[in-house]
Amino acid sequence: MTINILLVFLVGLAGGLAVGAGFVAFLVVLGVIPRLTQLTKTMHLVHLYEWSVVFGAIAGTFGSLQDPIFSAPGVIAIPIGLAAGIFVGMLAAGLTEALNVFPILAKRVRIEERIVILIMAIVIGKIAGSLFQWMYFVDL
Amino acid sequence: MLEVNGMENTVYIRMRNRVQVKSNDTVFLRDVAQIISRDNLHEKLECLPVHKVTTKDNNIIIIDVMMVIRLISKAFPTVDIQAIGPPQTIIEVMIKRKSVSIPLFILVWFLLFVGSAITIMNFHEDVSMQAVQQRIYTIITGKQEWKPLLFQIPYSFGLGLGMILFFNHFFKKRINEEPSPLEVEMFNYQQSLDQYVILKENKESVRRLDDD
Repeated sequence: MTINILLVFLVGLAGGLAVGAGFVAFLVVLGVIPRLTQLTKTMHLVHLYEWSVVFGAIAGTFGSLQDPIFSAPGVIAIPIGLAAGIFVGMLAAGLTEALNVFPILAKRVRIEERIVILIMAIVIGKIAGSLFQWMYFVDL
Repeated sequence: MLEVNGMENTVYIRMRNRVQVKSNDTVFLRDVAQIISRDNLHEKLECLPVHKVTTKDNNIIIIDVMMVIRLISKAFPTVDIQAIGPPQTIIEVMIKRKSVSIPLFILVWFLLFVGSAITIMNFHEDVSMQAVQQRIYTIITGKQEWKPLLFQIPYSFGLGLGMILFFNHFFKKRINEEPSPLEVEMFNYQQSLDQYVILKENKESVRRLDDD
């Protein structure tokens, strides 16, 4: 019995370790945190941002395992939704950048100056696709 | 005594990295390199023709520093040449640039627009985004909602905002003056291309056995 508990404990710990390490590796590769510190000029606070990610991951785990309910007004969902969206947007942008899409595209189509307009195509496409999905697509 | 003489006759040249010329131009030494030398020599050096662009040339020409040294020492046998910096210059022949056709541009724009819309929808389906959002909404408010739009609409606009933040572009206006990751990425890509043409177009830099 004790061995069983120990074994389950070990397996859970190992799984969590692997997922946590993978999550951080993903964030590092896409460079979201460096980008945020660069934008806000807070390089010296970067270790605090690390803790924010760690606590966020723990809070998310707690939420998905325990189903807590806060009974807050729906308005609270707006800033949280916005923050979630910005984060995913930065991940998507980081991924686009890691895959070298734009430099190659700009060279091919010969439009170095108008590349901002192409970025806007992707940005507006993301917004439109997301809105379309939540407002119509899910009801189909 | 000899040393003093040598110093006086020293010519320092530093090849420029990238130079753009028009087709049928003659490329002078001042175009491809920065020169430091005695004053009376300077003007003659500057006007030394290095290369005449002809239609036979590709649109990239590499001028090796060795070739420049050979040229200078032929014209001025007594000078001592010191080369500093990059060992070659990339000459880009600007053939009359075709302006981008508007329909093609619109097509690319539309392609990217539809593509990224589909990609984000696929991503949401892939990670069960809706189920997660419904649950987050329930955690926050305690209410069950099939379409928690109060969460989802800010989320959708946040997506775009996050991308703009990442690329540091709000249309043309910058949020701060550091180069954006995109510009750094474009620079790196250009560096790699330059590296490639330097080795590929410069006949002197690679020697092969089968010389045909």
